Amino acid sequence: MELASSVISFIVGYYALKAYKTTGAKGLLLLYLGFLILGIGTFLRFVTATYFGIILRAFPTIEHRLTGLVNLAALIYMLTQLIAYGLFTATYVLQATSTSSRTAEAGAVAAAAVPIVRLFVIPQLELIAITLLGFITVYTFTNWLLKRGSGAALVFLGFGLMLLSHMFFLLIIIEELSLTFLVLGQVTQLAGFLCLLTMLARVSKTNA
Amino acid sequence: MRREHKEYRSKARIYADILNSILRHGGKSGPTRILYGANLSYDRLMKHLRQLIDLGLVQEEKEGNEVIFKLTDKGRTFVLEFVKVEKFAEAFGITI
Repeated sequence: MELASSVISFIVGYYALKAYKTTGAKGLLLLYLGFLILGIGTFLRFVTATYFGIILRAFPTIEHRLTGLVNLAALIYMLTQLIAYGLFTATYVLQATSTSSRTAEAGAVAAAAVPIVRLFVIPQLELIAITLLGFITVYTFTNWLLKRGSGAALVFLGFGLMLLSHMFFLLIIIEELSLTFLVLGQVTQLAGFLCLLTMLARVSKTNA
Repeated sequence: MRREHKEYRSKARIYADILNSILRHGGKSGPTRILYGANLSYDRLMKHLRQLIDLGLVQEEKEGNEVIFKLTDKGRTFVLEFVKVEKFAEAFGITI
């Protein structure tokens, strides 16, 4: 699931880059960088979680030795996500500032082993991610209210589902339900990316 | 005193407006028609048309005594691409 999310992120990022090259709009450059970093982070998480899963299946007794490495991977993953969401937030802050001064218009593996799942969650950083995504979701919701277009609705749904996925990832700290929340988080995250992919497919079919 | 808000248009948006104006007139048009369609002054229009010619998006031709501006294949591709980019940016709430 994370591999698919990562690929979609790269596709959206590529389109944002194409759009930036056509228009030179800074917001699109930030959007490209955000999706690129999000794609890299999600891909790294997929690779490390798969790698640690395989190692643990083969050598179950070395779990304690992997803890440090898993922590490092989790930290890198969370940081890439925070940078990406930070860039999305910057896009909208920049947009809101320029919009108000111009037109005054209103304005982010299935678990091989459960312990590893929990180690991949850094609650404090998840909370920051939730805050940033909360801001982005509100902005895209406002944009949808103003534009009423299906594209804007899909982007709002996409970021809304990513926000929900991070809420599920945060709940992984509840030991008994770790795996359930992991699966829920990954499914909602993929659904969010699929919304963005659908939007992209619709845009690509647009005729002049 | 009431403050008038003049909507900002990026260079890409101005180019798209000019090219769209030409497209609406069958792919070739004189400066006066383009001027109204793109909502520009004559001097600014001519300056942008020169840039569009340099970019290979527009071609300058003579029909009798009149100078006309014709959309090239590259220009048509730009118009189509701009519509898609505009929809993409609009979905994310980004003004271009």
